[in-house]
Amino acid sequence: MNKNRKTIACLLATTMLVVLALSGCSGGKSAGNTLSEENGSSTNAGGKAETVTITHYTIDSEDRTFVEKLIPDFEKQHPNIKVKVEKAPYEQFDSKLQTLIAGGKSPDVTSHWGYGGFAEYYNKGMLLDMTDLMKEDGFKAEDYNIPENLMNIYKVKDHTYGIPVNMYVTLMLYNKDMFDAASLPYPTSDYEDKSWTFDKMVENAKKMTLVSDDIAKTQYGVDFTWSERDMRPLYFGAEPYSEDTWTNGGVPSETYFDSPEVIAAYNKLFDLVFKDKVSPSTEWSKSVAGQNGDPFVAGKIGMSIGGSWNLAGANDFPFKIGVAAVPWGGNDKVRSTLYVDPLLILKDSKHPKEALQWIKYLITTEVQEKSIDLSGGNPPINTEAAEAYYKHFDGIDPQDIKNVYEGAVNYGFESYNHLITNYSQINDMFINELQPVETGHKTVEEVMTTIQKKVTEIIHR
Amino acid sequence: MSTVRALSPQTKGTRRRRKAEPLKIFSFITLVVTTFLMLLPLFFMVSTSLKSKREMLKFPPTFFPESWQWSNYTEIFDTLQFGTLYKNSLIIAGFSVVGTLISSALVAYGFARFRGTGNQMWFILLLSTMMLPYPAIMIPQFVLFSHMNWIDTFLPLIVPAFFGSAYNIFLLRQFFSTLPEELFDAGRIDGCGEIRMWATIALPLSKPALATVAIFAFIYNWNDLLTPVLYLSSSDKFTLPVGMSSLTSSRFRIPPWHLLMVASVLAMVPIVTLFAVAQKQFVEGIVLTGIK
Repeated sequence: MNKNRKTIACLLATTMLVVLALSGCSGGKSAGNTLSEENGSSTNAGGKAETVTITHYTIDSEDRTFVEKLIPDFEKQHPNIKVKVEKAPYEQFDSKLQTLIAGGKSPDVTSHWGYGGFAEYYNKGMLLDMTDLMKEDGFKAEDYNIPENLMNIYKVKDHTYGIPVNMYVTLMLYNKDMFDAASLPYPTSDYEDKSWTFDKMVENAKKMTLVSDDIAKTQYGVDFTWSERDMRPLYFGAEPYSEDTWTNGGVPSETYFDSPEVIAAYNKLFDLVFKDKVSPSTEWSKSVAGQNGDPFVAGKIGMSIGGSWNLAGANDFPFKIGVAAVPWGGNDKVRSTLYVDPLLILKDSKHPKEALQWIKYLITTEVQEKSIDLSGGNPPINTEAAEAYYKHFDGIDPQDIKNVYEGAVNYGFESYNHLITNYSQINDMFINELQPVETGHKTVEEVMTTIQKKVTEIIHR
Repeated sequence: MSTVRALSPQTKGTRRRRKAEPLKIFSFITLVVTTFLMLLPLFFMVSTSLKSKREMLKFPPTFFPESWQWSNYTEIFDTLQFGTLYKNSLIIAGFSVVGTLISSALVAYGFARFRGTGNQMWFILLLSTMMLPYPAIMIPQFVLFSHMNWIDTFLPLIVPAFFGSAYNIFLLRQFFSTLPEELFDAGRIDGCGEIRMWATIALPLSKPALATVAIFAFIYNWNDLLTPVLYLSSSDKFTLPVGMSSLTSSRFRIPPWHLLMVASVLAMVPIVTLFAVAQKQFVEGIVLTGIK
């Protein structure tokens, strides 16, 4: 028996060795590269060339990995810095980031491109306080044409934790063909036009809505997906989170989801579907456009309020589109959600100084302009480069996009998903709890008490 | 021989049922309808893979492409490094199958044939590892492989397969324990050692079970996304699922479904081929385990 076990062990060990050798061969070439690269970054740091390698961690999709094309130019300008891009699919972005950090392989530069927002990263202690680093470097936001109010978004108690790189806003896309068919005038892109209100939008929507038994003929006037679900009351002037949330790193001391104002706001939104019947139900949208699709793209929606990323596919839409301002809905200060993506340096970064050089490079006017084309239409944060962005879309008047962007900045509020802690859990909870309302099985009043209780729980987790 | 014996009760059954004609017609219709329903998603996959970008957005969707875009099948090689992804996936899945087969069969043989103290306890301990979800071991395993400098190589994706997998060990152990003891006694009389009995008696008799394990292991590794995402960082080492998920990763773009469907059609080929090759063994496997 003992002899047998020994033979088994021997056999196992031999097969293991053979296979290790074989698999080593198959991935061997590049495995060697990695090793030498890693050695290069650590040993050379103190050596003659002082070359360091920084890692830029991003999503594996064309509109993010385009930075790879900028690296040669950056490395020419900074011969002592090498940049490596590490990527993951959107769904696995956060898991991989956590694993890399825990495994001592923390990337240097990234952003909140996964499910988790800035506040989540900040509260987990993942981010480096860049204040001193920036002071030492003499960094000035105006050199990169970044408005001061946008710089402030990623400051917590006067400490900077992120430098903005892209800015999406909320805007209205409209289907010109549907407006023409209903002989309606196109909506304005001017945020100061007082006649452009929520009620006016509903009025227009009614004229374009056509509900038929034939699903191919059915079309709706408006799809109002303004921001994430918990932020929507803000559009009507109701504040669901207490003021201190925006200054203390995203931990609200109080929430008001069961207040009459918030409930009234949600009712106004669901009325679009159930009372005015000008907006599609979630089931209809999913049946037309798939799980995460947008029925606007299928040409079945007159006006769609959503993030300006919807513009990116605009050149492929099988109909003519225009861009308009988000109508006034009762909040004199806020009409647009801003989605400002910052570049962050992670706390475990071994080369924060070099990481800052890379970030600075990415926000220069020249690179931001170049990035619009390379990424296929990412909106720059740099206001000078933004002029090129406004002209990027075929068939849409650049002046309209400019008006909408400038109006959105004046009447904008940063998206809650970046600013509130444990946001991915809050968002999941909202999607689940509001579902019975979206399908018409419960009223807003019925679910809001539960939501209020659950939000409080999640925040204090 | 064993095939004929295993299948014969069923053949008899169908012969008997032949008398009940209406029932046969009914079951035939049901089968045709079910087959049609099962094939519908597959049909849509192939049909979408041949549509143009514009037609893909159409609602209601068209059944057959208006214009057949065969060029999609070449475009995928420009959009993704499809050949490299395919090769990497084949290498990883192939080696994992070999690893799983060798290690699981060895361990399962041990569990089925040897009696010792705590035999049962070890087996339960082994089975209990099936209850550990991957995220629970994800980080410790990453730290381990990172210390071994295996990050960005195929090793973390292949080597664990050589240490057995609880499910496959369980499956094979059940199969091995049904093999008649007399065969092994005869072997022992002829002077066979355990390893030789494993290789010349147990393995050849367990082809159906081994084919099943091979197919399971291949499909699992072929489809796995999270592990390669964690361990691979250079694009030239990515696997098919990693590359394909990059097409849907942007929240800001309409995914190129037509190309994704091309990739899916092509990704299906090895699985279908493997199934066709192993089918004889595989079906036998189901029949045999079904009887017991």
